[in-house]
Amino acid sequence: MMSDQQIIEGCAKHERRAQQLLYDKYSRFLLGVCLRYATDKAEAEDILQDSFLKIFFNIKDYSGTGSFIGWLRKVAVNTAITHYHKNLKFRYHIEIEEYVSVETGVTSFEEDFFTSDELYKVLNDLPSGYRMVFNLYAIEGYKHKEIAEMLGIDTNTSKSQYSRAKAALRDKLDKLRTLKSNYPAE
Amino acid sequence: MDEGREDKMLSDLFRQKLENAEVTPSPSVGANLMRTVGRREFLRFNPARINIWYVGAVAVAGTALAVILSSSPDQKPEDIQTPAQIEINAGSVVNGTDNSLSAALNNVENKTQTAANERKSEVKNRSEIIVNKKTGFNQTETREVATTEAGKVNPVPEKDVMAAILPENNKLRTNLRKDSYISASATGGCSPVKISFRCMAVPYDSCSWYFGDGGYSALCDPVWLFDNAGEYKVTLNVFSSGIKSVSSVIITIYPRPEAKFEISPENAVLPHDEITFHNYSEGAEKYEWDFGDGITSELYEPHHSYRRFGNYNVRLITISEFGCSDTLVIYNTFSTSGYYIEFPNAFVPNTNGPSGGYYTPKSDEGSQIFHPVFSGVTGYQLRIFSKIGMLIFESNDVNYGWDGYYKGQLCDPGVYIWKVRGNFMSGEQFTKVGDVTLLKN
Repeated sequence: MMSDQQIIEGCAKHERRAQQLLYDKYSRFLLGVCLRYATDKAEAEDILQDSFLKIFFNIKDYSGTGSFIGWLRKVAVNTAITHYHKNLKFRYHIEIEEYVSVETGVTSFEEDFFTSDELYKVLNDLPSGYRMVFNLYAIEGYKHKEIAEMLGIDTNTSKSQYSRAKAALRDKLDKLRTLKSNYPAE
Repeated sequence: MDEGREDKMLSDLFRQKLENAEVTPSPSVGANLMRTVGRREFLRFNPARINIWYVGAVAVAGTALAVILSSSPDQKPEDIQTPAQIEINAGSVVNGTDNSLSAALNNVENKTQTAANERKSEVKNRSEIIVNKKTGFNQTETREVATTEAGKVNPVPEKDVMAAILPENNKLRTNLRKDSYISASATGGCSPVKISFRCMAVPYDSCSWYFGDGGYSALCDPVWLFDNAGEYKVTLNVFSSGIKSVSSVIITIYPRPEAKFEISPENAVLPHDEITFHNYSEGAEKYEWDFGDGITSELYEPHHSYRRFGNYNVRLITISEFGCSDTLVIYNTFSTSGYYIEFPNAFVPNTNGPSGGYYTPKSDEGSQIFHPVFSGVTGYQLRIFSKIGMLIFESNDVNYGWDGYYKGQLCDPGVYIWKVRGNFMSGEQFTKVGDVTLLKN
């Protein structure tokens, strides 16, 4: 088993074997990232492939000091943002107002109640703009100002998209919880 | 706050569950990726990684090159027909205003010869030998090609300058074909010009004309309109018992010197204003103005004062160095001339006492006198009434207005009615009624 360092050096020399190893080692993790930014798995795989092409051809950009996995994740997130911009015009028709006013009495979510598959599904069903902001803010940990720059939107847009995304997610999780309580899995 | 805590829990839920979640990609993704990487790396030429593909590509390219080189000597161009290419470049200018570009096609051999003698210094003769490959006997035919340089001929109306060079070289060989079959009513002119062509071949089976401007005709005696300036090579292909003969002639079309002018001032008042004619013509070297009142000028931008009011037709004729001309006439040039009279709807009298009422536009900047703005007014009567219909002011001089006083007393602020009658210099009469508000500071 090669270490990360060996794999990186091999990829820098465009060795096919090293590239294959890198893919085998990190593709599942990166697809997990990509899936959060996509509407479905097919789109996530598209983003994944583009991410790996960037990784293979720009691996020299990795300075070697920071965490390699963090660098990989950053490439994937940036690729997802590019992807989002590219497809933006096709998604413009999505009505966002339907999520604005959501009343909810639920005050807590138990961690183990939802599976990650269910959470992915909930995320995938969000409007793209909400999903981008929610991912970047809540999971990647970027500030609203940074997100606004990345997505080319206003800081306030980022904030309002985030709060609308949360409202939508709460609503969806509530429904899912009701569904699951009524029909518990065997 | 509840809200904040709840939000945090929501974010935490997703972060903890999904931050490092792993999803297995479809097997095809990896395979696809590797293929794409391979393709990209191949296209990205890297000399350090010469592989079998590069060698193969070089081999294929070399073979292809060799094949092309070895096969090219076999591809000798074979002329099936010998074009008898005669160029007659006999330029002449026909007066652009001469509309009698008739299709009269006289035999002008004599004229042409005279013209040729006159321009002898400009005539160049050259010979060329054309090897007739068709017969296979290396039989040579000698053609005399007369290239007549374009001669500048001043516009001569009524004289039809014919460019037709009729076949004169029958003396060379009995089996020679005629050299040029083109007869044209003119070899030039001012655009747009209509030129009649005629095919002089006898007998012929069919003709095809190419006029050099993209136009084409299958008639044997076509008429063609050249509407853009330029030099056009008109080509005639005559098919006569299976033999194709090519003749051509250069037609020179000169641009029309477009006449354009404007008059200032706009809305001029005759005969008061001196009129300036701004010339925007292009491509002309001579200008002929007719101001419509019997006065003419040949200046580029003339000034002119009319003696009396009237509707004049101003005409400009531009003439270019090639003798082409263009004409612009503006009819009833001064029909929209600026005779007008307008009154304000308020004024502020001087409270220090009557000012007399005479004014100039400069002296009455504070609108202390009620008076019109006007142009070209000759006869004038202004009357001003109070609301109860009492006449409080009357003036028969357009330069004399109301200062707001009646019998030495400043009138009360309020609305007053005015009525004006008169006539303009053009003789046109006017009558207007309106009201004006007297204001007080």
